[in-house]
Amino acid sequence: MDWSDIIPYLPDLARGFLKSIEIALLSAATALVTALLLTLASATGNAIVRAIVAAYTEIILGLPILVLLYVIYFVLPKFGVRFDETTAGVLTLTLYYSPYLAEAIRGAVAAVPVGQVEAARMIGLGELSILARIVVPQALALMIPSATGILIGLVKDTAILSVISVEEFAYVTKQVVSHTYAPFETWTLVAAVYWVTLALFETLMRGLERRLSRFRPKVEFH
Amino acid sequence: MVDLAILSQALPAIGTAAVVTVALTLAASLISLVVGALSAAVQLGGGPIGYALSRTYVSLMRGTPLFVQLLVVYYGLPPIGIRGQAFLAAALAIGLNSGAYTTEILRAAILAVPRGQLEAATTIGLTWGKIWRRIVLPQAFVTSLPMLTAEFTIVLKSTPLASVIAVTEMTYTGVLIQSRTYSASEVFLTIAVGYILIAQVLMRLSRSLERRTRRLRF
Repeated sequence: MDWSDIIPYLPDLARGFLKSIEIALLSAATALVTALLLTLASATGNAIVRAIVAAYTEIILGLPILVLLYVIYFVLPKFGVRFDETTAGVLTLTLYYSPYLAEAIRGAVAAVPVGQVEAARMIGLGELSILARIVVPQALALMIPSATGILIGLVKDTAILSVISVEEFAYVTKQVVSHTYAPFETWTLVAAVYWVTLALFETLMRGLERRLSRFRPKVEFH
Repeated sequence: MVDLAILSQALPAIGTAAVVTVALTLAASLISLVVGALSAAVQLGGGPIGYALSRTYVSLMRGTPLFVQLLVVYYGLPPIGIRGQAFLAAALAIGLNSGAYTTEILRAAILAVPRGQLEAATTIGLTWGKIWRRIVLPQAFVTSLPMLTAEFTIVLKSTPLASVIAVTEMTYTGVLIQSRTYSASEVFLTIAVGYILIAQVLMRLSRSLERRTRRLRF
């Protein structure tokens, strides 16, 4: 096999790659919003709302994402709810990753020292400005490491959407392989592209974390 | 909308496939544990080359989709003379993928063993091998147990991906039945419950293991 056999298909692969990025960005945005809603629901809601959020989280923790995808794409239509492939994919990624992201948000908010909030109250800051100027800026920086790991999982799982024919990177690769008859080489190349992209994403997030935590006092706890 | 007759016909096949799912989970977890332990050992005690090797392995496995790794392994095996072994390919791919996370879990657990204990052990004249066998590893195992069982729950949740290379585990069996009978709701809701049940068993096992090993902590 000659690697040059892949060259004519590079534009196709690039198209699939961009579609993957698009789905990943869209799903990450909807998942983050849903996660925020889940966090708020379990923080302020009544007992019933909290129980529903807890049950939902428990189900997602035990359910493989591929099975969730099949349920949304094949089972829901039987009950009259029908989505096109891309919507089903984005919905799956959102439903699957939002409980994990909610946990990251909850953990980050809990890690902001309670003494700071008390001190802010003492000096007469309103609840809203405590949230906006003390809790959120610090929680944002604190949640980045865990959120990055979860979002990397989300990006990688866009490849699974190929099983319902979403024309993303892995799906296009499968089609290219059926032309080149070079599965090993083509998949290795695609793996390398994922690797570089995610390494870049990780570096970006680390930079963002540094930027967001530039006001944090350097305190040694040990 | 849910036909019980179809469900009762499909159940035996799904039950058999559940056994394959459990077997695949166990095989991949075992590979993950062995590879993870080796990789962690090489990273901490293998000099700069061992460190670089282990870090590259971890980064590569965590930076590419398991879906892609599965296909690379599946299509990479025939050229080295292993053909038609979808189960082996799936166990290897999932195990190697999870091994990267196991590396990190074990590395953290080993580094969490208090330095003072190592210094004390050296002072009373224990050899390097004995320090590892009797002081570092037992404690690292106990501290990493909850994380490891969580990792093996993730392994369980990765096994449906083996359906893309036609391993007849639970999800692929579901797809086959569904394409024959068009009974998506019966089949996929059943296997969804199946996974949640197996995951619950795993999580309970993990909690009881954690309780039982707690007395081993110092």
